[in-house]
Amino acid sequence: MAEILLVIVSAIFVNNVVFARFLGICPYLGVSRNIETALGMGFAVTFVMTIATALGYVLQKAVLIPFHIEFMQTVMFILVIASLVQLVEIILKKVSKSLYRSLGIFLPLITTNCAILGVALISIQEDYDLLTSVVFAFFSAMGFILAILMFAGIRVKLEEADVPAVFKNVPIGFISAAILSLAFMGFSGLVK
Amino acid sequence: MRPIIILTLVGLLSASLLAVVDDLTREPIAQAKAEMKRKAIEEIFPFNIDSLKTVKTDSTTFYEALDKELNVKGIAAEAWTTLGYSGRIEILLGVSPEHRIFDYKVVSHLETPGLGDKIDKPKFKAQFKDRTLGDTNWKVKKDGGDIDELTAATISSRAISDAVVRGLEFINAQYPKTTEE
Amino acid sequence: MNEAVNILTRGFVRENPVTKMLLGLCPVLAVTTSAYNGLGMGLATTFVLLGSNVVISLAAKAIPNTVRIPSFILVIATFVTIVDLLIKAYSPELNQALGIFIPLIVVNCMILGRAEAFASRSGVWYSVIDAIGMGLGFTFALLLLSVFREVLGSGTIFNIPLVGEDASTMLVFALPPGAFAGLGLIIAGLNALEKKKGNK
Repeated sequence: MAEILLVIVSAIFVNNVVFARFLGICPYLGVSRNIETALGMGFAVTFVMTIATALGYVLQKAVLIPFHIEFMQTVMFILVIASLVQLVEIILKKVSKSLYRSLGIFLPLITTNCAILGVALISIQEDYDLLTSVVFAFFSAMGFILAILMFAGIRVKLEEADVPAVFKNVPIGFISAAILSLAFMGFSGLVK
Repeated sequence: MRPIIILTLVGLLSASLLAVVDDLTREPIAQAKAEMKRKAIEEIFPFNIDSLKTVKTDSTTFYEALDKELNVKGIAAEAWTTLGYSGRIEILLGVSPEHRIFDYKVVSHLETPGLGDKIDKPKFKAQFKDRTLGDTNWKVKKDGGDIDELTAATISSRAISDAVVRGLEFINAQYPKTTEE
Repeated sequence: MNEAVNILTRGFVRENPVTKMLLGLCPVLAVTTSAYNGLGMGLATTFVLLGSNVVISLAAKAIPNTVRIPSFILVIATFVTIVDLLIKAYSPELNQALGIFIPLIVVNCMILGRAEAFASRSGVWYSVIDAIGMGLGFTFALLLLSVFREVLGSGTIFNIPLVGEDASTMLVFALPPGAFAGLGLIIAGLNALEKKKGNK
């Protein structure tokens, strides 16, 4: 039990997907100031990340290793992710047309979200069992949502602030990410 | 129907190409791994290794460094600690046939850069040289022992001491000493 | 010939995938702790870009629209796996340094982006040049950030020490915050340069 708790805390704070592992930066920057859209994106990512990691684990243990085709790992994982994203698109179209429209191009772009493939690969690398992998993936996604929510909030303030022209938009976004990242570094040593 | 056929075709071509490349690179990859291991071990011994014998046991993996006549010139063991500031630290410990420490190398860690990561720097490692399990108080000086801890990284220092002791215990158990210290 | 030069230089500054189009950021931030790593990642990515651009440019017409993206992804994943195996076999240090970011090249939006936007509708020759241009631009951005981070953060460049062993360095640059800040500063700097050029 304690170990799972460690994994959870670590996934959200200590080894935050965005601020510590550098995964999922593209959607992080592109996230809208609209909280609903950001959350919608967050949930989609959570869904895909968790299932992709679980499926990846099963495929790795049941297919790749027994047949000695570990080299197909990248190909298999990315195909799983692409299919899952397609699934999410279909579901979303049926369930919430408005969210589907507001997410727009960002929905298919979830396929190229390095956070999803990255988390799946890390759980294989760390040799987590199925339960730990799923917990790890789910809470890494929580960390991702935390990051984009924080950034969406900061973005709103940034637009009203007096930023030097050359820093406007992207650069100042990075600088704020730097400060957030510094803050998250304070979490190291939390997991003992 | 046609799109599915094309996609499957692409998939098959991809798999076949990768199978070929995988086959071609299997040997080189295995060799590269062995080379890296050997280089890491060579770093902790003050002499050239002519050949390396790997011994895997239930406790850990040992490496015997042999000279041309197949005499054991040094023993290395994989050891670890879970007491690191940020978790697990893995080391490779190298000792003489009399179980005196030559050196160790930190293989993996998550310690604080600039502070705890100095555990792999020569300055800190030097104090471990020539020590044996029995002739040292393995606590850090703060705790009344012989090990000089790193400034602002007492926990990392304690952790390394723990890892080194573990390594020494593994070696003593696997290779019982015939000479008295 | 002019067209070729145009395509080649485009990827370098005007449409630099990193600083202008903000593609492929994850590896840019993660592996730029040293110039050696940045260069390695840049070259590996360029290799994949080259391979995928060529194959996709040749095969695009034969691939039906509905399976276009999955096919492109398959092609890219194939080249990524090839470069992964090659690095494991012939440069294990680079493999250890770059870690999971090698297979993550497959989700580098720059590669799929080029395939979609250019290679699938252009001839092979131009696709090759585009790959080289974009690849060089990407590598250049990586080098810029990694030299910045390595010199300030570790006091070395390409692992050659520039300062004494005990000298203090601005460690923060070798760590995550430094990556974000460094990139932000570089883009701001480039913005400033552009402004100056525009005002001339």
